[in-house]
Amino acid sequence: MKKYPINFFVNDEPVELYVEANKTMLNVLRDELCLTGTKEGCGAGECGACTVIVDGKPINACLVLAPEMEGMHITTIEGIAKNGELSPLQKAFVKHAALQCGFCTPGFIMSGTALLQENPQPSREEIVRAISGNLCRCTGYIRIIEAIEEVAAAYEGGEK
Amino acid sequence: MREFEYLKPTSLSEAIAMRVRYGDKAVILNGGTDVVIQLRERLIAPDYVIDIKGLEGMQELTFDPKEGLFIGAGVTMNAIGEDPNVKEHYPYLAEAALSVGSKQVRNRATCIGNIVNASPLCDTGTPLYVLDAKLVIAGSEGTREVPIREFITFVRRTVLGKDEIVLGIKVPYIPEAKGIFTKIARRKEVDLSTICGTVLKIGKSYRLAFGAVAPTPVRLDKTEKLLEGRDLTPELIDEAAELAQTEVSPISDVRASKEYRLDVVKVIVRRSLTTFMQEV
Amino acid sequence: MELKHVGKSYDRSDAIKKVTGAAEYVDDIRLPRMLYAQCVRSPYAHAKILSIDTSAAEKMPGVKCVITGDEYPNRAGLYLEDRYFMAKVGDTAKYMGEAVAAVAAETPEIAKQACDAIKVEYEELPAVTDALEGMKPDAPIIHPELGSYKVAPIFYPKPGTNISHHYVLRKGDFDKACEEADYVFEHKYYIPHVQHVPLEPHACMAKYDADGKCTVWASCQSPYAVRQALSVAFDMPLNKIRVISPTVGGGFGSKAGTTLEGIVIPLAQKSGGRPVKLTYTREDEFVNAYVRQGMHATIKTAMRKDGKILGVHNMFAWDGGAYTEYGVNITKAGGWASAGPYDIDNVWTDSYCVYTNHPVGGPYRGFGMCEIHFAIEQNIDEIAKEMGVSEVDIRRINGLRPGGFTGMGEKMDVAGFQECLETVIKDIEYDKPSVQVSPTKIRAKGIAGGWKSPSMPTNAGSAAIIRMNEDGTFFCMSSGQEIGQGAATVLPQIAAEVLSVSPDKITFVSGDTDCTPYEWQTVASRTTYCAGNAVKLAAEDLKDKILDLAQIKMGAMKRDLDFEDGYVVHKIYPERRVPIKDFALGIAFEDGSGYGGPAIGVGTFTLENNINTDKKTGVAKHHPAAFWTMGVNGCELEVDIETGHIKVLKMVSCFDAGKAINPALFCAQSEGAMVQALGTALFEELKLKDGKVLNKSFVDYKIPTADDIPELVAKYIEHAEPTGPYGARGVGEPLMVPGAPCIANAVYNAIGIRFNRMPITPDDVLKALREKKEKEGK
Repeated sequence: MKKYPINFFVNDEPVELYVEANKTMLNVLRDELCLTGTKEGCGAGECGACTVIVDGKPINACLVLAPEMEGMHITTIEGIAKNGELSPLQKAFVKHAALQCGFCTPGFIMSGTALLQENPQPSREEIVRAISGNLCRCTGYIRIIEAIEEVAAAYEGGEK
Repeated sequence: MREFEYLKPTSLSEAIAMRVRYGDKAVILNGGTDVVIQLRERLIAPDYVIDIKGLEGMQELTFDPKEGLFIGAGVTMNAIGEDPNVKEHYPYLAEAALSVGSKQVRNRATCIGNIVNASPLCDTGTPLYVLDAKLVIAGSEGTREVPIREFITFVRRTVLGKDEIVLGIKVPYIPEAKGIFTKIARRKEVDLSTICGTVLKIGKSYRLAFGAVAPTPVRLDKTEKLLEGRDLTPELIDEAAELAQTEVSPISDVRASKEYRLDVVKVIVRRSLTTFMQEV
Repeated sequence: MELKHVGKSYDRSDAIKKVTGAAEYVDDIRLPRMLYAQCVRSPYAHAKILSIDTSAAEKMPGVKCVITGDEYPNRAGLYLEDRYFMAKVGDTAKYMGEAVAAVAAETPEIAKQACDAIKVEYEELPAVTDALEGMKPDAPIIHPELGSYKVAPIFYPKPGTNISHHYVLRKGDFDKACEEADYVFEHKYYIPHVQHVPLEPHACMAKYDADGKCTVWASCQSPYAVRQALSVAFDMPLNKIRVISPTVGGGFGSKAGTTLEGIVIPLAQKSGGRPVKLTYTREDEFVNAYVRQGMHATIKTAMRKDGKILGVHNMFAWDGGAYTEYGVNITKAGGWASAGPYDIDNVWTDSYCVYTNHPVGGPYRGFGMCEIHFAIEQNIDEIAKEMGVSEVDIRRINGLRPGGFTGMGEKMDVAGFQECLETVIKDIEYDKPSVQVSPTKIRAKGIAGGWKSPSMPTNAGSAAIIRMNEDGTFFCMSSGQEIGQGAATVLPQIAAEVLSVSPDKITFVSGDTDCTPYEWQTVASRTTYCAGNAVKLAAEDLKDKILDLAQIKMGAMKRDLDFEDGYVVHKIYPERRVPIKDFALGIAFEDGSGYGGPAIGVGTFTLENNINTDKKTGVAKHHPAAFWTMGVNGCELEVDIETGHIKVLKMVSCFDAGKAINPALFCAQSEGAMVQALGTALFEELKLKDGKVLNKSFVDYKIPTADDIPELVAKYIEHAEPTGPYGARGVGEPLMVPGAPCIANAVYNAIGIRFNRMPITPDDVLKALREKKEKEGK
């Protein structure tokens, strides 16, 4: 089977790989790179569990073919904590108990992180729209919204 | 997914040559949000996948009061929805683009992909129908323009030739036009339309288009004629809503019944026209 | 006594792993030389399997092995052993999607291609697609051998029919109640199948070693129950099966039983020591994991004109699907609780579990309670409207109070229902009508109550082990599973309270049948209660052993010593204190000899005097239920009468938690439960036609998103459960129970239309409004 050489960055590290065309970015991240924090909840772009940030924008890794990864700068959940320190959003999730089973959590962190990068002080409506592509069955969402709001409010106060 | 070969042409002519060479054995990949799902579910099993989003001009999104808006085939839904020109001059198109899928999906999905898929319920279809947008299509014989109403012929069928690739869509600019896009779905966020519609007002002319009510999105010619040149009154609006119902032929499916869709067409017509009436 | 750690909102102990993506779920585990499994599934709702030809698949490069039903010597099941894990040739496939063959191969793609190459000949049979139809004498029989199945003694299958259990409750005299009644009402309801939708689809991996040891990694709630089912199915001794359940991405009941594990094991046995993994797709999850049973309910109610319920007569017919090994107990649970949280003297209930050719019914958060309360709580409102009395007053008059009796005749020493009701009424301002903001969007409020007890074997057991390390940190070992509900946070909090150390000094270890001690199952809202009791007993055992040593070391009487913040402290002379860590390896004497180490505590919990009900009447002899958790929901919503959309604006919940061990996690579960209930009330239904699931994807099976949630108010009261750890009772499931009927009641209050079926979709609303208009026009 034909393999395609691709070069891209994951969490700021350059990666060079040969991939099969009928694999997705999600397969490459999980199976080739063992970055298993990115989850498959549906494989059809409906649940957001596989959300990663590509060139600043959140996307579903299950909807990208592996060869399309050429040249991309990809951030996965494994790239959010820096030097062992949780990001402010991760800390807020912990504090607010904004997770239960945790399977959807990486996707929510990625959607929330992308939102806050793009818009550090989103309104509640903007938060809701930004995470409505992420399904959660446990929490009822409210704590997730509150965790994102807390980070946004801290930004307002000039903290980071 | 079955095995296939991934092709990434570097020029339009190369892409068209691939289309010609591989014919039915190839599919075009753009944003991929539909194609990848179809591959995964084995609804399609091509030997070749031709990724065109890297081609020159595909990411073009330009506006000029004379020429109108041009949306390149690679422009994503979010790019459209967040574009200042689209938001200012075509707010209902921006809204339609932002009503598609989730934020993640809209960062990959393209408007042209939405149109070329030719789903009867394509969300960006109805604003483009009321604006009489034209698809710009390149083929081995050169470039042609096709009005969107002629482009989509049936459920998932278009007039796109086997040697052709859609480059983008031209959307006329009508300075006085005001539009209202409405999407009714089971769930407000991340859902397919149960019904979608756009009502456009240009002075005392009205244009109405609906999706998910027929094999293709449709314009409601009779209703438009009824309203042409007249002042909106509650009675006229009721009459238009009743007439609109007769111009659509929805079906019952897993998402809603035919009767529901008929009811809602009426509601959208009434609500949109009432908003226009109250603005005057 | 003031509690230091119980009742505090500690951060979740699993949170950091989960927010960093480091938590490992089954599909995240990658073992060397791993193979991938795929299944061939029946395309018919009911069909005889005439032949299976696997020869072409076996020859394909990359295929390691192919199995069929021949690999299964025995039927297995939790309460009723009615299923092989794969349909056999000569037998029947009983639902559309049932596995008939499976393949292990080098890649998922090869496995899929091999499945496509397997030829199966079927003879289609007439199917049963409705429970009431299935109960009729002329219905096709789905399990002709029902009479020969092994069954737990509290269930009563009816051989020669599709009824796998007929539950009976006869308390008092319903007919007499009718004679005394001023009114008798009858109402009918229907609840369709829904799916649990855990975000993590089921996954299982198995490895079979040359010495006969089989290790199974399963995304499951109950590793010990899985081990038991596999042992029965494959005639394997329990010490040769090791079930490991790592992080579980949501259960809600769907991972309570044994499903795909049974497919993977024979593949692993034939794969020469190579691990085999099967991960469900979302489509599989909708069809081939458990679904919630559908249910028809008919309730007759004898009422006195002052609002007193004199008697109820219930008929529940449950659509159990193709196998009811688990479903029989849901049928029983529904029957047990059929009077609702009300004190009713005369109760007559028949609850039938019926085989159909639908996907397999199984436990779903609430275990029958969400279904029966959709009927019970609307029935109460309907009666109130028809009698012209207040729906609140009916609940006040009949709602359980301390000293009252349940439908089964148990005396309730503790019952917080009335207080929950008053709290919710106040918070939702039920006595004030909604403020209307639009002529086309009608607002109104609704209320509903609910209750639940664990429906578990009366002798279901839990064990825990607590080991102290040399530095005064601990391992708390239990097989009460963390499935998102917070067990890994709450159970250490219970231990921390006994041991008087911070919970972060206690590492929770679970989910490994070779290493962590027995736990019947992580279901039934029993983990905080049962595993919590075991953990508390283990901590007390450890403390007791340490105090035995401390009285030697400290030269003081044990009765005067206690634990305080990591020290053994003399209660009278508090300056006399020794760090508890000094006892980790026992104590040492001056001559160098040692005594009494290492420190380990053991706790086992089986609820005592938890006695089965009377066989004939179903009436309680003592306490058949471990505890009853009750509460009330209120909501305000808005119905768009033009589009039919219902927007829930606010939901309020109050439950009697007994003791909220971790208040933040209690509230988090309550919020999640309200939203899950909202989903079933407004969106969710597994749409079936002739046994085929029409909406097996998120495209057409919608669950709520962040956009759909109302303002959520989660409250609790605390009337201690006498047998619970620190007074706690289970809450995870009960919290979801009143949500759907509460919404349905509010919809009625808004538009005057009673929906006796859920979900209440925009389509249904407009249709009902059209019909109402036509009726009123006439």
